[in-house]
Formats: sequence, structure tokens, C-alpha cells
Amino acid sequence: MPKTQPSIFSAYQRNPALFDEVFDREGSILKDYKRLMKLYGKQSIEDYHELNARAKASFFNQGITFRVYSDDKTNEKIFPFDLFPRIIGASEWAFIERGAIQRCKALNMFLWDLYHDRNILKDGVVPLDLVSSSENYLDQMRGMDPPGGIYNHISGTDIIRHADGRYYVLEDNIRCPSGVSYVLSNRGALKRALFGVFNHYKAHTVTDYAENLLDLLETVKPHGVDIPVTVVLTPGMYNSAFYEHSYLAKTMGVELVEGRDLFVENDFVYMKTIRGPQKVDVIYRRIDDLFLDPMEFRKDSSLGVPGLFSAYRKGNVTIANAPGTGVADDKAVYSYVPDIIRYYLGEEPILANVKTYRCGQPDDLEYVLEHVRELVVKPVDEAGGYGISIGNTLTDEQVEKVRKEVRESPRKYVAQPILSLSVHPTYIEETQAFEQRHIDLRTFTVMGQDKTYVLKGGLTRVALRRGNLIVNSSQGGGSKDTWILKNEP
Amino acid sequence: MLARVADNLFWMGRYIERAEHTARFMNVNYFSSLDAPNTVSQSRDFVLRSMLFMVGDPPPEDAKLEEDKVLFKIGLDRDYPASILNSIIFARENAHSARDLISTELYYSVNKFFHFADSYPARSFVKTGLFDFTAQVTEMTAVLRGKIRGTLLHDAIYAIIMMGVNMERAIQITRIINAKYNDARKSLGSYGDRFRNSYEWTTLLKCAESYDMFRRFYKKAPTSLSTLEFLILNPDCPRSVMNSLNQVHQHVLTIDPLKASDKDSTAFMVGKIRSEYQFKRIEDIEGAVQAFIDHILTELSAIGSQMQKEFFHY
Amino acid sequence: MSELYTITYQAENAYDYPVVESSWQFLIIPEENASQSKPRIRFTSSEGSPWELSENGFGFPVIRIRNRHSLESIRFEAEFSLTKQVVNPFDFDPELLEPYEPQRLGQLPFRMRFDNFLKSTPLTCLAAGAPVFSFDPGTGILENLQALNAWVFNDLKYTAGITHVDTTLEELLVLRKGVCQDFAHLFIGIARAHGIPARYVSGYLHQGMGFFGDAQMHAWVEAFLPEVGWLGFDPTNNIMAATNHIKVAHGRDYNDCAPLKGVVYGPGGNRSRHQVQVASQQ
Repeated sequence: MPKTQPSIFSAYQRNPALFDEVFDREGSILKDYKRLMKLYGKQSIEDYHELNARAKASFFNQGITFRVYSDDKTNEKIFPFDLFPRIIGASEWAFIERGAIQRCKALNMFLWDLYHDRNILKDGVVPLDLVSSSENYLDQMRGMDPPGGIYNHISGTDIIRHADGRYYVLEDNIRCPSGVSYVLSNRGALKRALFGVFNHYKAHTVTDYAENLLDLLETVKPHGVDIPVTVVLTPGMYNSAFYEHSYLAKTMGVELVEGRDLFVENDFVYMKTIRGPQKVDVIYRRIDDLFLDPMEFRKDSSLGVPGLFSAYRKGNVTIANAPGTGVADDKAVYSYVPDIIRYYLGEEPILANVKTYRCGQPDDLEYVLEHVRELVVKPVDEAGGYGISIGNTLTDEQVEKVRKEVRESPRKYVAQPILSLSVHPTYIEETQAFEQRHIDLRTFTVMGQDKTYVLKGGLTRVALRRGNLIVNSSQGGGSKDTWILKNEP
Repeated sequence: MLARVADNLFWMGRYIERAEHTARFMNVNYFSSLDAPNTVSQSRDFVLRSMLFMVGDPPPEDAKLEEDKVLFKIGLDRDYPASILNSIIFARENAHSARDLISTELYYSVNKFFHFADSYPARSFVKTGLFDFTAQVTEMTAVLRGKIRGTLLHDAIYAIIMMGVNMERAIQITRIINAKYNDARKSLGSYGDRFRNSYEWTTLLKCAESYDMFRRFYKKAPTSLSTLEFLILNPDCPRSVMNSLNQVHQHVLTIDPLKASDKDSTAFMVGKIRSEYQFKRIEDIEGAVQAFIDHILTELSAIGSQMQKEFFHY
Repeated sequence: MSELYTITYQAENAYDYPVVESSWQFLIIPEENASQSKPRIRFTSSEGSPWELSENGFGFPVIRIRNRHSLESIRFEAEFSLTKQVVNPFDFDPELLEPYEPQRLGQLPFRMRFDNFLKSTPLTCLAAGAPVFSFDPGTGILENLQALNAWVFNDLKYTAGITHVDTTLEELLVLRKGVCQDFAHLFIGIARAHGIPARYVSGYLHQGMGFFGDAQMHAWVEAFLPEVGWLGFDPTNNIMAATNHIKVAHGRDYNDCAPLKGVVYGPGGNRSRHQVQVASQQ
């Protein structure tokens, strides 16, 4: 039987060395995508180009943008968005979801232990120095019981699929993981542009995120509060994630506050409203630990609230995520997560970790120095994809530079084998054609007291530059709508 | 609602309204001057001075004005705080910081409005685009008012925005009256024109989009007194100072109904001024028009400070 | 035997431009502990603002004030009275003293118990190979710490106005001059480098004996001796902390113990002055 490829994919070139999410090795369309390819195939490339332009204009006019500052004028850019969705089948998703929950639970138990009895350190499973030397460990949190016993209320787990077809966790984000608003606006944009395709698939909704988030945050309200008042704390409208902050506040139906809207009196937190002070019970904060309270942490912080930490210590307000969670999503701790899961849950990790060399350990250091070309070397404490060197793209000079830096401060670096992220057909404006691009997936897990929720969708990020492995939006990444199927079609 | 956010919404309302009045003033003045019946009213210099007077920036007597510079300044100059573009930018910044509270539809329109003005080419604006730009600005502000009324719950948020809209309207109408009153005096007698029947009163009514309403109400040509009566005291004219104050009063009560009898409250202050105008006859101010205009502006500014203190102090 | 102390603390802050909203936090209340009674507190500000008692992140009591009106300067005055038991720093069984054995100190349970007072902070971080006092393995921990106390005292010359609150040990070892904070930080850096838990202590020094202290809050060190507990060392004066030392708080370094923190909203700079007086009535 002759294979006919849909017209807009006629120029699609498959690199057989890469794991394509849509085509198998022989070039046949995988079953979840069959109908989708047929539907998209009805479009000509011109039609598609126009749809794409219209979707972009709609993002722009809705102000789903981030701001770029230059000398004369502020420019606004939209986050690049691809109209060809990613589909994850029901059973595959169930696996990812169980894995994400397992990880988040274990990390929460790890945090409780680190700030209380420290058994995992006593038992030598995780080295004390790793924790002592972490700038994200807050001594102020020692012995503190966060309401409901939850530290990482909201977790973003970054997952990739390697050329071997297996899923691996790339990193955990349990400070202020962002990106969930893009999941929701991507879905909105795709529905507007290509409403017809939704009739043919039964995908889970993503619009219930905000209500679940609010429900779960309310389960960890401070003791003695009946109906809690929840707010979202933002650094302000000039922050690049402000759209997300306002989106979440709006969809949860709670106030979006800045530090200057709050004050603390007698260890209770209040917001300044047009009718006077109103007590605040739960703060979903989107500012970093060290900016929360200038009386306790960075004294030059104008984003925080003087006295907030005292109110928290007294148990009068819930802060989500709890201060001090950053110690557990450190890239150096990452390599211990499988051990952490076994230690607290007595289970084998469901989602695999990427083999990680800790440059602070002599054997690993030696291996890394000798194999820079085959490894991704990452600083332990940088976010946003900065400072990462990918071995096979380096010049001799750059390799030497990496060696030197790692040798000078080995504890600041970890290294991992170069993974080959799976690829997904992505529309490239410059060539007006679909091309293979690397993708990853960020899942969002929300933990409340005795209740956990994983957003059935997640953010598929795509590296728009050819061959680029870093999919972060600050490094020229885009995103795709992600459909989780209700049952296999 | 947060006091800071209320402040932002109040000013969003004010800036939307300000953009509209400035745009309409430019539009109507410029185009009605082209075929004005007297030479003074026809003069470019006269029209440009009138525009600058209205935005609160009257030039010195001997200044030589260049048309494209003045138009650019009031229309699209980012460095001039009172420009239409800046009013739109400020409206949108204020909307942005409160976007969790306003409807998606309203934000979408404010945002589109901003992108329209921000990308309007300055060269074509001063050469050929004055009519197009200002007409579109007034159209879009009408759309915004529709979105404010139609897509927001009529609760405190709506009341705060409408308080801003109506405060600004009262202020801008008074400023426009002031500017045209000044113009009418300057164009006096240049073509056998009488102050009372000056062509400027027609322009004034058009600047307030009230000419047709006026004709329906009085059924004759506007005079100084009938125009002022209509624009200041007529409660049924949606652009009058009286109507704006009535609305401000109604919205203040939505925000805090218990405060109406509190003598230190905004509600009380607005109510007091409102009843003063309600029982004023236009004959009472004849001969002291300038003093009355100044008096209104002072009182409006006092209401503004009281609101600031009562609702927006954070 | 006990002393009755009355401590007055005064601070004055002036701003270049009026500040619209302001908060202050004072970490100046004498600690209630085995030798110090719960203090009686009197506190006033020139603005008459109400004050409240709270606790900082490490559980030490603080006084907090918030002002919502515009101001260009503000004065604060606090008065604390308490009784202090006469303290003999050597009030323990000398049999318990241990020799200085780095391997024993390096054991995991010990390091884990005190890791917050063993890790280096930006203000107590010593460069590798810095020319500083080295512990003698031949003698006990106490002897070593006393020798360290003397070494710091002799190595630095007490001079006000040379260093500031952010001076690092690296800078200090070049300047070789400083005030009590610097003496304490150097002691702490060296003790921690030898595996001895050490913490920064802020408090008041009764100056009756002509000690260095400069009418400001004083700073010294507490070091942990296994089997004995925390002992106070005052390297600024080369003495053990005793009856004249009235403790307020301890922390990893100065930053945990800053007596006054202010957060103001407004442009421009500010100047502040502090003054402390300790009087005793026997």
C-alpha cells in the first residue's frame, strides 16, 4: 500500500537518528496522530501560514506578551507558539503522572526531614555538605512546621524523552515554577484557530487548573481560619511573568497584590483595600525567598513585606511554596532524588533520572574533565538555561575554558550525558515548512493536605532554533498545546 | 479591592476619557476652523493656540507656532505628558496592573487601542492623518466605554472606573469651555461677530459632541448663555458637568453607601456641590463666567484630593 | 550576687527627602536566659508611633514600628532594666574539657548538630592559606580558644571608622584595624575553620572597667566546647564574656544580629546615629 503524506508535511524531513513523536522509524504515522495528520493535511501551506499569523496577532492583542527593554522604546513580544499540538496517550500519561506525584511527595518529605530531624543526613544517604553549602537552605526554617506539612505546594517537573524512547526527568522546579498560563492560553489559541480538530479527539480540559490550585491552597490554611483569604503576590507589572500572575489571580478570583499592598501588624498580614485593612491568610507568592521580607532576608528588597516571616513563623499565614524549598531543587541534589524516593517511600522511582556526575566528587570530576566533549556541563545554581555548555558543540578553546572553570570550583558543576531530546513536527516561519524540533514537557503538580492534583496537560516547550537542545523561553524557545487523551482512539 | 489597584482603575478611566476629549478637541477645532466665518477663527495660529490652551500649555503671545510640531506634540509625542498617545499609554499601564480585575474583553480593547496609537506613523499623522487618527481615537474610546459597561460586573470595580471617567469628563468639559470662552473673547468683533453669538459656541458644542442634542433641546442657534447652561447645568445632557457629578455621586455611594452622611466623605462633598449646581440659574453667573469656571475647576480638584485620601491612600 | 542594669539605647534617622511609609525593627532587647532576668522595656519614638513586640526568624524578640505618614527624621529611645547574675565563665568541671582533636570534631553527628555555626558566611569566610592563628593539637580546645582570643586582640588594632558592616575578613586582614564586629568575625572565621562551632553575639557591655566598646552595641563570640557547652569570648578586650556582657542575640554573623533594620519608601539617602549607655546600680 503506498503511503500518502499530508500535503503540508510533504517537505518534512526525518532524521532517522532522532526520536520523532509522530512518525515511527519506517516513517508511518503513529496511531494517536493519524487523524490529526489527516485533518491538518487538508490545509495548504498558505492556509496554515495565515492561521499562524492570525493566532500570533490574537496573542499580541490579548497582551499575552513579555517585554523587551531597549534604549528608546519598550518592545513587546509574544511567546512563540506552534499550532501543531503534541498528543500524549492515556496510559503513557498515567505513567508520567504517577512518576511526577511520587517525586513531589518524596521531595516534600525530604524538605520536612531537612528542616526537622535530618535523618537522611544522619544515615549518610545525602551528604551534609550538600545541604550546608546550599545558599537555598534557610536556617530560619529549622523546626518550623509549615501549615499542613507542605513545602512544595506547586511543582514543575521537567521531563524529556530520549532517543531510547524512555522518559527522563531533567529537573525539578519547586520554588516558583512558571509557565502554567501558557498551557491555558495555548489551548485557547488552538481552539480558536483550529476548532474543527477538537471534535475528533477526546482530550482532557486544562481550564480546571486555577480552581484546583485554589482548593488545594485552602487545605493548607493557617490553623483557626475558617474561610481563608488567599492572594497572589507578584513582584509587579514589569516582571516578565506578570501576565501569568494576573491570569492566576483572575481565574482563582483572588487579589493580585504587590509587597506594598500588604503590611504586618501584631504578626498578622493585612492588605490595604479601599475599605481599610483586610486580613490575608494564604499567600501564593511569585517572588523569591530572599525578597519576601526585608527585615529577615535581603534588606534592600522593596518587593517584600516587612515582618512577613514573623507572621509565617507564628503560623498566622501560609506561604506557598514555603520558604527554603530551593534546597531540594538544586541541580546537585537532583542526582540524589532516586535515593530520596527509595529512602522515604520505599519504592523504586517511576520516572528515571538522567545519569549525573557530581564534579564535587573526585572520581566523577576526573571523568568529567576527560569527557567534556560527550557531556552537558551545568552550573548547579543557575536557572533559565544559562551557563550550560553542550560538549559536542564546543570549540577546543571552549572545552579548555569549561575544564578550567570546573577544575577551579568543581562543586559548582554537575555533568550529564548529552541527551537526544525527542522531536516534534514544528512549523518554521522562515522556511514556511514543518521541521523536526526538540521538545520537552513541564508538568504541574499541586499538593495540598492529603490531596494531590496534576494538571492534565503540561507545557510542551520546543527549541525553535535548529539543533538547539535548550528549550527555555528565555533562550528562544516556543511552546505547543499538549493534549492528554481520555482513552486510546 | 486593593487601594492601589482602585487608584489604577480610577486613572485608567480618567486617561481613557482624557484621550477622547483631547482628540475630539483637536479634530473639531481644526476642521471647523477651515471654513469659519471670520478670519481670526480661520487662522492656523489661532487654532493651534486654542489646542495648547486646552491641554493646559498656552504659548507666549509672541511665540511662532509650527503646525506639524504642535500637532505632533499634542497627538503623538511620547515626551509630552499631556499627549493623546501618553494618555493611551497611561490608560493601558493602569489597565495592565489591574488586569486580573477587569474583563478579558476590556483588556483586549485597551491593549488594541494602545497598539493602534503606538504604531500610528507620526509623519502621516501631521500631514494627512489628523482626522483619521483623532476620529479613530474617539471611536475606540466609545468601544471602551461599551466594554466597561457591558463586560464588567456593576460592583465596586465598575464604580471606581466610572468615577474616574466622570470626574475626568467634568474636568475636561470645563477645560474645553474655558478654552472656547477664551477663543470667543479673542475672536470678538473680527467679522461683525458678537461674543454672545460667536461661532465658537457651535464649535464648543461640537467639541463636546453635544451640538445635535443642543439643537433638539433649544431649537435655535447657540448663544453664550444657552451653551453654558446646557454644558454645565443641564442634568440630561450626558456631557454636562451636572450630569457627570450626578454619576460620580451615584458611583461613590456604590463603593461606600454608609458614608453618605459622613461630612468628611467624598460622597458628602460631591452631594453638596451637586445641589449647589442643581439650584443655580444661568443668569446667576452671567457677567462672572470666568470666575465660575475657575470655581468649578477648584471644586473638582478638591473632590479629586478627597477621593485620593479616602479610597486610594495606601 | 547580681547586678541591676539600666540600658538606654538611642537612635536617630534623618532622610534627605520625606519618606512616605517606613518600618523599623530593633533587635536590642536583652535576652532572657540563665543569668539575665526578663527585662522591663520602655520604648518611645519622636513620632509617638505605636510599637509592637515580635520575634525574628531565629526566635529573638524584636521591637517593630510602622509609620504611614511622611517624615524627614525620627528618634527612638529604649530603656531596658534587668538583673544579671554574677557570671563565672569557668563554672564547670575542668575534667570535662577535651583535647583539640580535629577528627573527633569532624564526625557527622557533631557537624550536623552545629552546621549553621560551622559553615562559613560571606562575612566570616577565610581564604585558604590566610596567615592566621592555627590551633595547637597538643593542647585543649579551651586553651586554643583562649589563645585565639589573645591572638585576635593583638592582631587587630581597635579603630573606629575604618571598617563598615560589610567588611570581609580578606579586607580586614589587610587593614588590621576595626571594631568589635570585626574582632568577632575574625575569631569566628578561625574557630569554624578548625571545626569549632562559633556564633556571633550582639549585646551591651558595661564599660565601668574601661573596656573597648565605644558607647555602641557590643559584639563578641560564643564557641561550643563539647561536654561543656557555649562559652563567651570577647576578642575585642581579650577576656571571657562575663557579668559585664549583657547578651541580646546570637547568629551566624552580624547580619543575623543587626540591631536596627529600616525599610523606607522614598528617594534619597539617609543618615543614622546610635548611642548606648549601660548603667549599673549595685
